[in-house]
Order: sequence, then structure tokens, then C-alpha cells
Amino acid sequence: MTTDKAAPASGSLLVVGGGISGLTTALEAAEVGYEVFLVEKNPYLGGRVAQLNQYFPKLCPPTCGLEINFRRIKDNPRVKVLTLAEVEKVAGTPGNYDVTVKVNPRYVNENCTCCGDCAKACETEIASDFNFRMSKTKGAYLPYEMAFPARYTISPQILGTEDAKRCAAACKYNAVDLEMKAKTLNLKVGAVVWATGWEPYDATRIDNLGFGRYQNIITNMMLERLAAPNGPSKGKILRPSDDKEPKSVAFVQCAGSRDENHLPYCSYICCMASLKQATYVRERYPEAEIYIFYIDIRSPGQRYEKFYKKIKEDKKVFLIKGKVAEVSEDAATGAITVVAENAVTGEKIRKTVDLAVLATGMQPTAANTKLPAELNYTEDGFIINDFAKGGMFAAGCANKPSDVVSANQNATGMALKAIQTLARR
Amino acid sequence: MAENYLIEPDSGFIKEIVGLGGDSVKKCFQCATCSVACPISPDSKPFPRKEMIAASWGLKDRLVANHDIWLCHQCGDCSTLCPRGARPADVLSAVRSYTINEYAFPKVLGQMVNDPKKLPMLIAAPAVLFLVLGLVLRIFGVKWLNFAPGGDEIVHAHFFSTWLVDLIFVPLSGMVAGVFALGMKRFITDIHAAALRDGKTQKQTIDWAGLGQALLRVIPNILQHKKFSECGENKERATSHMMVLYAFIGLAIVTGIFFVVLYVFQIHGPYSQLNPVKWLANIAGVCLVIGSALMIKDRMSKKDQKSSYKDWYLLGLVFGLGVTGMLTEMTRLADAAFLSYFLYFVHLMFVFNLFAFLPFSKLAHLVYRTVALTYDEWAEREKKAA
Repeated sequence: MTTDKAAPASGSLLVVGGGISGLTTALEAAEVGYEVFLVEKNPYLGGRVAQLNQYFPKLCPPTCGLEINFRRIKDNPRVKVLTLAEVEKVAGTPGNYDVTVKVNPRYVNENCTCCGDCAKACETEIASDFNFRMSKTKGAYLPYEMAFPARYTISPQILGTEDAKRCAAACKYNAVDLEMKAKTLNLKVGAVVWATGWEPYDATRIDNLGFGRYQNIITNMMLERLAAPNGPSKGKILRPSDDKEPKSVAFVQCAGSRDENHLPYCSYICCMASLKQATYVRERYPEAEIYIFYIDIRSPGQRYEKFYKKIKEDKKVFLIKGKVAEVSEDAATGAITVVAENAVTGEKIRKTVDLAVLATGMQPTAANTKLPAELNYTEDGFIINDFAKGGMFAAGCANKPSDVVSANQNATGMALKAIQTLARR
Repeated sequence: MAENYLIEPDSGFIKEIVGLGGDSVKKCFQCATCSVACPISPDSKPFPRKEMIAASWGLKDRLVANHDIWLCHQCGDCSTLCPRGARPADVLSAVRSYTINEYAFPKVLGQMVNDPKKLPMLIAAPAVLFLVLGLVLRIFGVKWLNFAPGGDEIVHAHFFSTWLVDLIFVPLSGMVAGVFALGMKRFITDIHAAALRDGKTQKQTIDWAGLGQALLRVIPNILQHKKFSECGENKERATSHMMVLYAFIGLAIVTGIFFVVLYVFQIHGPYSQLNPVKWLANIAGVCLVIGSALMIKDRMSKKDQKSSYKDWYLLGLVFGLGVTGMLTEMTRLADAAFLSYFLYFVHLMFVFNLFAFLPFSKLAHLVYRTVALTYDEWAEREKKAA
């Protein structure tokens, strides 16, 4: 029998990434009795979903789904959450991995009550990555209202300044600890699930679409933040150049996706994202016109197809088959003109709009940052699951571009795969 | 194209386009980036997106009679931005090749010009023609071909009489012009029918005088390479192309003047190097060599652009023509008799190939593109029906 030769499996598993996939994998495994380390590099859990205004399938705000998951984590002593933490090394074999994790200092300890006095005392403002640098936060900040762990963070940028001292002085609970140092942890785990997620494709690389050159060209993820009640404009969709309410918005589909010069694959959800975002604009501005330029609208599954049909009924939403390949700006008004050929009529269209939104795709995090483990990747940086070998698995968008629903299904499946590695002694 | 249209794919046509350098055609997914990327594509019925679907569906009749394929100057902007790695520029080039064959008459000759295996025959044909005609004439006592041209000075006409040369070239030019003109009439009728069908013009019937006026408006643009210079990628190609075009114009002027000087004034060459016409000839010759050498260099360095036999045949011909012409003159001035007479003979073979096969080789673009640009100018495509 192979039983004797099998490596001694540790009872724990490591989940890398605290977005929706990582949360799901961690909880599914923990709730059947396994010890889980959940490692997240940001100071908060929730990942990309936390940045959305609403998400499919029911157009809930992210607080809805994330809140339940955070509650489950709080109630489950088997999940050990490490935020501001990064995996530095994974060595070993399935069932028996040695993992090195570096935990960066938050400079705020568990005494924090989120009273916000430190932020009030802090004078320095830093660009908010959470809001794609469309706004600033104080050097001492809570990542977002419902951040988990609910604890302020002090940015390393203000460390060593008078500001940092002011933050410490302002805290009534002795929660600010400027002496906090980075720690290295060694974990023994039997299986690793990589839920390292995705990054919005860098739109400045799409030369002909003007992002970064013209202010009123934004990305779909930026629009999510603009539409979110906790976003930089408190949920008002205003165009960046003059904070004007846009009367017309153009959506540029496949901005970098399905394009060999950028991301050769379909990012799966951008069509639905733009259709959804059309509703954001239409709800706020009943007179606004929406122009969606596409190669083909991909609305996979019956539920999405129904959603697409509903949007098509809106008389102010115009769907044009033809990819935008050229943009220009009217320097005086900030208006953006997008150029495409309508492939149905065979006529070129030059549409001038107040705001243009690039439906940029998903790039796996591993495409830009190599993961410290022996993994197989596709050419595009997605992790290929080697089920025969076992031990390490990729869940969610680290494995393929997907929506939240499929990411969660996939994450649940990977929890089971990880458990099988642990249980198969 | 709102009306129903029964698609009749011609799979043989697709294969030919693929063979002519359009092998990327099937990668196209009709996103229409190319039509916008193209700096010279019109707003109404832009190209090359519609040509890409027609080519991949094998809709031959939508392409050969489509004058838009000639509006393209193959700058490659569309290929650069294409998200699928399809190369519309190369596909249109392949369609142009195909179209030249399609309108060529006689077809057999067209096929020969585009078949590398027939190249030795094409080179041998004029040589045999010259020698046989020269020898036959000698039987009748007409010594227009002389293998031992003596004298103190090298005079090419002593080897190959200008009478013999022109006896072949003058009727040849007439024939080529005739064959080409007939082809062009058919071509214009076809592109007009297609333009009407596709809504690219509101004018119902062809008006030849109007076309003539349009030609006069288009010629200055061609001479300035206006459209060519609008191309984004490989802009520098416009310069070398212009050099070759002006070289040919210069050489045509020189040939015309010397033709008159010889037959009207009965003054035989070689003419003095101090003669201004000779200056023009020398400058044009140098331009031809440099221009075509630049074009060859450009094609060799471009790995992403397809180059077919048709491209190399023409470039080789033009470059060879220039080099043998200049060398003939140089060896003559250097008093290298045998070499000079031999080079002159080779030079004549190049000239023959260029002229005789004009309607079949890539050089035919000179006529097709001019006609298409003229037609497009006349058609007023951006004018919508009231």
C-alpha cells in the first residue's frame, strides 16, 4: 500500500489572497474543520470586489456578500488572517510545505476602535490606491468603511515624520505603535491555494485609446469607484476634468482584451460590467445617452443574456458593433471623440461624448509579479492547475478570468482539492 | 447591404489569396480596428474591414471589382494595430495581385509572369526574339545586328541597330497599351457597378469626360505622393517610391527627346555628357538605382510584412534595369567594348520584361491605382443620397 510512503500531511492549508475567491476557499475549508492561514498583502480583505459599486448576479453592493464572509471569519477560530502579509517562499512537496510569510507592520495594534482621531491629527495626504488615485486619504486611514480587520493603518510614507508622532499622540487607546517591525513567520501547511486574483490591465499601454493623455477617458474600475457611495465623489458620477455630470458616455469594449498586442484572451466579464455600468449612469441621469462600442457582446448564460436584453430595450442605450481604435479630445470642452467603424452599416462613426470609459480587462497578478513557488503558468500568467501532482492549486481569477459567481464556485472546488491533499495520507 | 444576399463562397479564391501572401485572412474577427487605424480610409464604406470578411468568405466578386483595394497604399498601420495578428495590408496586397491576373489578357502570360519557374523563359524570350529577328534580317541583307561592331568609339547602335530595337519596342508598346486599355475599360465598368451596388456613389452612369477631369485633379496628388505620405507606419517608403517614379518619368522624357532627335533630326548617339538631356538621364538613372535599392533593403528588413514573388520580380527588374543601364554607360565611357555591348544586351532584356509584361506584373499598379484614385475622386462617395 502507498499509505506508508505518503508524506505526513499537515492539517493546515494556506490560502494566498483575501479577495472573494480566497475568502471562499478559506471559509469552505475551515468550516469543515481544517486550519487555514489566509494571507493578504493589502491591509484589508475583500480584494477587487470591495472596490465595486455593485456586483453580479443581483447587483448587490459589495458590503452585502463581503459582510457575510467577514462574519463567518470572525466566528471561526480555525481561520488565521494575516493582512499586510506576503508569501516569500514555498518549499516542499504536496502534504508538506514550508512557507515563509513576511508580515509588514501596520503601526496600529488591536486596541484600535476606529475612532478616527489619528486621521484627524494627520496632516499629510496620500493618493488613494483603493480609489485608483482619484482621491487622497490621510496618512493614517481606514481602507474603507467596512474594512476587515476594522483597524486603521499608518502609511509607511509618513513614518518618521512629525505627522506620525501626532497620530500616536492623538490616539486615546495606545493603538498606534510606531516601533512595530516587519515579522517573518514560518508556516507548515499541507496544501496551498493561490487566490492571487487580478489587476486591471494598465490602460496607458493601449496607446491609441488615449488613457492618461485625456482626463475624461477613465477605466471601468475607476467608474466603479465613482459610482460607489464610498467613492471619491460619494457615488456621483462626475467627469474628472471639471466635475460635470456627463450627458453622454461611451464605453469602449475590449480595451486591451482579445488583443494580441495586449491581452490575447477575453476577460469574460467586461461586457457585462459595461452593461451594468450603463445602468449606473442611466439611474443617475435619466437624460444621459450611452454608446457601447463592441466587437461582440458576450453575455454568457441565461441570466446575463436576460440582463443584456433588458439593457437593449433602453432607448438611450446605443450598441454599436465596431471597436474604437482612435480617440481625440476637444481641449476647450474636454469632450472626447471616439472613432469606430459600424460594421453593420459600413460607415465610420465619430461620436463626441462627455466621458469615455475603457472596458479594460483582467490581468492575473502573477503576470506582473512572479509567485514564490513552483507553479505552471499559461503564457498570459494564469496558473495552470496540476491536479495529478496536487498540493498547490489556483482559484478564481488567478486561474482564469471570471465573474464573482464562477470564481466562488471554482474557489469552493479548490477548497475540496486542497482538503483531498491533506486527507490523502 | 441591407438587402438579402446569397453568399456563394469560392474556396479556390480563398486558397489563392492565402497563397499570394494573405495567409492571415482567417484570423480576422471583424472588430473593424483596421478601418479606423487606416489613415487614408474614407468615412463612408471604409476599408479594409469589409474586404477582410469578403476575402475570408471567398466572395471574389466583392473584391476584384472593388476599387477600394487600390486606394490602399499598404502602409501597414492596420496590421500593426490588428488585435488578432491578421495583416489586412498583406491581404489587400494579395487581392491586388489576384485582380491583376483576373484582368490580364492573355491569361497565360499573366500566369507566367507570376510563376517563378517560368522566369528563365521570360528572360530568354526577348533574347531569342532579338537574336532571331536580327539574324533573319541579316539573311535579307539588313545588318541591324552586328556581332563585330568595330570603330574607334563604342556605339551601341552598331551592335544593335536602333531600328531593330524600335522595330520590336514600338509595336510592343502599342500592343501593351491596347491590351491594357481594353482591360481598363472592363475594370472601370466593373468597379462602377460594384460601387453603385455598395452605395459608394450616387452617379448612375459613367461619364468619361468627368473621369478625365478627375484624372487631372488626381495626378498632382499622385506626383506629390499625398496619400502615400499620410500613411503612418513605414512612411519612409514614400520617399524611395517617389525616387523610382520620378526616375521613370525622367527616363521617359529622355527617351522621348532622343527618339525625336534620332528620327526627326537624324542625329545619332551617343550624345555628349554635356548635353542637359544627358544630365537628366544620368540623374534619373542614379535615382532609379538608389530608389529601388532602398525599396529592396526596406523589404528585406521588414520581417512582419509579407513579400511575394510578385514583389521581388518587380523590384529585381527595376533595380536590374537601373544597374545595367548605368553600367552600360560607364563601361562605354571606360572603353570596355565587350563588356559594354554585353551589358547593353542585358539592359535591353530588362527593358523588354518591364514593358511587355506591364499589364501582368506588379507594375500594373501604376495604371490600376491611378484609375481607382481617379474613379474615387469622380464618384464623390461621401455625398449621401438626399
